[in-house]
Amino acid sequence: MSRRVRSITWSITWSITADLGWESVSNGFSRTEDGIEIVLGPLQATLLVELISQIDALLEPPPVADPLEAIVGLRAVPPAPPDDPAVARLLPEAYPDDPDAAADYRRRTSDDIRAGKRDAARRVLATVPATGGRALLDDDAVQDWLITLNDLRLVLGTRLNLTDDVSADALYEVESQDPRRPVVEVYLFLGDMQDQLVHALL
Amino acid sequence: MEVVSLATAAPEDVLDADEIAERDRPWVTIVWNDPVNLMSYVTYVFQKLFGFSREKAKALMLDVHHKGRATVSSGTREEMERDATRLHAYGLWATVAQD
Repeated sequence: MSRRVRSITWSITWSITADLGWESVSNGFSRTEDGIEIVLGPLQATLLVELISQIDALLEPPPVADPLEAIVGLRAVPPAPPDDPAVARLLPEAYPDDPDAAADYRRRTSDDIRAGKRDAARRVLATVPATGGRALLDDDAVQDWLITLNDLRLVLGTRLNLTDDVSADALYEVESQDPRRPVVEVYLFLGDMQDQLVHALL
Repeated sequence: MEVVSLATAAPEDVLDADEIAERDRPWVTIVWNDPVNLMSYVTYVFQKLFGFSREKAKALMLDVHHKGRATVSSGTREEMERDATRLHAYGLWATVAQD
């Protein structure tokens, strides 16, 4: 697991920092009397909208071969394990040592897990102040945000080949001219957001 | 007249003591360490999904972090699959096994 977060104010030090523009240290999540509030700058909002919009296509379920199955929404045949390692990370095998049980679990659950994550992402998109600004999140919206931010981190973490805690810690040493640097910075930014939201809930 | 009972178990369905013990072993849900999920988030999810106290959730999270895995619930296979699915919804790496 990852313990390191850089700062509670989402300070960021990458090449496009000036463009992303942390206009205010008060940006981020905070607890108010009416619930959890999120404040985003315009470019933070743009970045989030762009990333979250990709979850829907990423998690589209594989087609159902049999028309009757498609109608009743239940699969008789397990879908193949996801080819994309990021999708595989979002849909873990429940029985890693038992291929038959794993396939049957996948048949019964993977469409619902995909749908739950896509629905959460869509609801988050509906609450993001798209050009920046503030929004108030109720309890359900907070859960959607937690799940969606975490799904994005899991996808980017897979793209960055994070395999263990050592490789995750090494992200903090990635040089500014390294081609991975922009993705690393977005990944760490999302981690800061996630950590800030969790702490606002405590 | 010979009475045929539909309730009579076929011989192969009769379990001996070892088989009954095997069948009744509880199932468990295991959460595995991964490099992405934040420690604060994993603790929160354990509290949220299982109703654990903050102390218990944190201790379990630390077990996952230091030992690589921790058992977070036990019960029937169906219950454990439900727990695994809820954990998957939150992005945790969970598996189901017989204890």
